[in-house]
This record gives sequence, C-alpha cells and structure tokens, in this order.
Amino acid sequence: MKLQRDVYIAGVGETVFGKHKIDYDELGRNAAFQAIKASNIDSPGMIGSAYVGNAHNGIVTGQTIFKDLGVCGTTPIINVESACSAGAMAVHLAIKDVAYGLTELSMGVGAENHTLRRKSGTAFMPAMNDIETVHGGVMTGKYAMRATRYMYETGATIEDLALITQKSRRHGKNNPHAPFGGDYTIQEIIDSRMIAYPLTLHQCCGIVDGAGAVVVCSKEMVKKLGIEKPVKVRGSVVTSGPYHNRPRDITGDDITEMTSEMLYEESGIGPKDVDILELHDAFTIAELLYYECMQLCGKGEGLKFLRDGQATYGGQCVVSPRGGMLSYGHPIGASGAAQIAANVKQLRGECNGYQVEPIPKVAMSHVTGGGLSGTEHAACTMHMITADW
Amino acid sequence: MAEKKKVKKEKEPDITFYHPDLLAVPENEPPYLKGYKCKKCGQLDFPKVTPCANCWGEEFEMVPLSRKGTLYSFSDLYIGQPGLETPYICGYIDLPENVRIFAMLKGEVNTFKCNEEVELTTGPIRMNTDGLPITSYMFQKA
Ligand SMILES: [Zn+2]
Repeated sequence: MKLQRDVYIAGVGETVFGKHKIDYDELGRNAAFQAIKASNIDSPGMIGSAYVGNAHNGIVTGQTIFKDLGVCGTTPIINVESACSAGAMAVHLAIKDVAYGLTELSMGVGAENHTLRRKSGTAFMPAMNDIETVHGGVMTGKYAMRATRYMYETGATIEDLALITQKSRRHGKNNPHAPFGGDYTIQEIIDSRMIAYPLTLHQCCGIVDGAGAVVVCSKEMVKKLGIEKPVKVRGSVVTSGPYHNRPRDITGDDITEMTSEMLYEESGIGPKDVDILELHDAFTIAELLYYECMQLCGKGEGLKFLRDGQATYGGQCVVSPRGGMLSYGHPIGASGAAQIAANVKQLRGECNGYQVEPIPKVAMSHVTGGGLSGTEHAACTMHMITADW
Repeated sequence: MAEKKKVKKEKEPDITFYHPDLLAVPENEPPYLKGYKCKKCGQLDFPKVTPCANCWGEEFEMVPLSRKGTLYSFSDLYIGQPGLETPYICGYIDLPENVRIFAMLKGEVNTFKCNEEVELTTGPIRMNTDGLPITSYMFQKA
C-alpha cells in the first residue's frame, strides 16, 4: 500500500498469552485499553475507526470488544478475518484509514480465545469445502511436508529444526507474556511427542488465547497526544495466495517472497537493514524457510544463518525477540497484532528482561494466513516500522 | 385453519464416493483421476476449476491423468483432524501432466521417501455422517 501521508504508531497493548478463562472480548478490551492509555487518548470520540481481527469466535467480535469501552456509536468498527493474518490485517486497515486521511487516529486489534471452545488433541484445518481438507489435510501436515522436503534437499536434521525452538524460547524466557519461553535442550525438543513427522510438539506453536492492539495516527495527532517515542510505519503490505495446482517449491514460499519484496520496495529498507523480526514461526521449519524467502540470507543458507548465530542477539537480525509464536503460542486472530505490539515495545526499549541490545531501530513483522489448496497460504501481511524520535 | 400435515422427511443418505467428477473407478480396470483441459487456453487442471482460472473459459475436455507419479513430499500425521484415526499419512504427488495432487497415502508410517514412485489407488478417506466410509483417491508405493 502506498502511504499517502506519514502514519505513526502511538501506543500498543498485549495481554499475557496462554490458556484464559476470560473470553476473547475481555482479552481484546484489555489489550485495546492498554494501547489507548499508552497513546494518551482521553476520550472514545478520538478513535476514528477500529478494525478487529478474529478467526473462530463468532460474529460482531469487534463491536463486542469495543462497546464496553464506549467506542461504539459513530465510530465504524469493522471485523476482519483471514485466519492467522487477521490481526495484522486489522492493523493494516487502520493504517490505511490514517494514510488516506479518512481518520486522524484508528485502531487495529487482534483477539482470540481458542481454549474455551476447542477440544484439545486435534489439529487445525482449513474449511471442509477444501479438497485437501476432505483428504485429511491439517496445518501441521502442510508444514511437516515442507520440513520433509527441506530435510531431503538440504540434509538438515530434526536436531537442526529443534535449534529454532531452542533459540526462540530462550529469547522468550524472561518475557512475561510468553508462556512457553524458557531453556530447552535439543533432546527435550526432539523427544517431545510426535505431531506430524518430523515436527514434534515443541516444534509447534501452542494453541492459546490472547490479544494485541495497536493505535495508529497522523503526525499532527502524535504531537497533540504528546507521544514521546512515535514509531513510524514504513510499509504495510497485504497479499493473497497465488493459486495454481502445478508443482511448486515448498522449501520456498511464493507468497512470503512476493510480500517481503513489496515491503522492501515500499519502505525503502532492505532485508539486511532489519534489526528485529517477528515472523510466522507457527512451526520450526517455517522460520528456517522464511530466512531465505525474506532474503535475510541466500537460498539454501537458512541453516547456516541460524547456526552462525545471525538470528539471535548480536547477529544480523534478531528473529523472534519476543520469543515468537513458539514461545507465545498462536491465538490465530490475535498474533499479527501482538507481533506489532511487541516490536514497538522493543523499539522503545520497554522490554525489561528480554530487551534486544543495542536497542533496535528497524522492526519487521510477518504473518501468513490460512491453508487453502493450490496456495501456500491464503494471505500474507507484513509490516515495517522504525523508531522515529 | 387447515391442519399442517407433519411429514417426516427421510434423511438423504450421505455420499460414500468422492467425487465422480474427479475420480473414475471403471469395472475390471484400474481407477484414474480426471484432469480438465480448458478448450480455450489449453490449461490442464486438477481438480476442475470452473471457470478456468487462467482465461475464464467455461468449456473443458476431460483428460484421464497418469496413474503413476512422484512423491514430492509427505508427512506421517500423529495428530490429525477430529474424527480421523491416527496415524495417517498425507503427501503431495506430482504427475507427469505437471499437476500436483494432495492425497492420503496407503502404507506404513516411516516407510515413505521423497521422490519415490507412487501409484493411484482408492480407499476410505473418512467416515460420512451415516458412519459409512467415503471412498476416494489415494496413492501407494508403485
Ligand atoms: Zn483457460
């Protein structure tokens, strides 16, 4: 999306992730109110529009979240669904409103509660009208096949994949929002229960609940609100999965390659200039492939990039500084917004105990969305943001 | 007011075969998958996409697809969809017609390898709402 004027992030919020007894609306409201307070917003009337990402919790989710904050009324609240991309897409739409002068201030929220409704012990799957789903397709299987092929082509092992979990959960160890953060041995990771060969339990994101919220606004509004550390939106891109039923290289990811390329072009920031990155690490293999897809390193060099420490503290780009989905778990509609919230906090140096040093200046985020036969993913949403003070 | 007659509607039986437009199982002959070639632009697709996603053509010629293909990748699934017995195996099969098929694989876990030859077969992919198996295409080692 070409931004017609400068757009800034004023404030963000995120809940603790994990199994919650409170529903998505209260989670969403908590994150939204945090973001509102962090943005010094003092009346509901200042919010020009709000977008709410959710996947599984039913209808009028956004209005349910915002009515108790007094934001309903003349404010348009629009609900956004694109599976795992929903939360980031909600932020994208808020940015669009400000970028095109429709509003001075808008909000993007992602909220989801899976565990109140869902039986454990089964895997997420696309809708039953999809031909792959009818034939037993599940998201874990789709990623596992990418891992199988990657291992076949590169000689990588399960132990190599486990390095991703080890690295990201170490990042998330002191992050109070990330329930799965901590120190794991490679043995523990590969000995955990097999989910979809070669992906073991600790290589898969947990199914949890949570919410994230982002307030975006114009430059004038940044001044009016007295935001000391405005974060500038440098690029926001949404794409849809290219469809075909011909053989494709699943050790790549056509939609992520396309979207990141567009984001680099739009933001004028190249892959080597990204300091921190939250990506769609729903499964270990995904992160490894995305290093290459996003051109952090060359094709076939993902494993070397990881082993050389380029994806952790002191490396070229700290990947999953909050701990990633592997530490947070992945409430489908929430993750995209929560990633952006976490990146903003890193840029502002607010991550006590898990702050990347030196304090990063450039942050990128990436969520794909949905399995759909004939595509790698149904959607992809990416954001580039920078410190601007 | 006329009394409304309550007729108990017979429940229509659920499908036991998936799907005559995609799979043919002739008697005394091996099964085959049905590809669809767009009469306007020539693109061959499986499954049938109407209209043609390439040119929006609406007329197709049915082309039987090769029974043998290459297993591009696979996974042994230990946690699957609700209602499906585990483990089961799924894979991507590339056919010589430049089409990729997602299918369940018939065979044992820990036995498949990338790039090995597999062939079309049929088998139950799930139970229908009447508790009967639904037959569809599957692949097994050639
Ligand atoms: Zn055509």
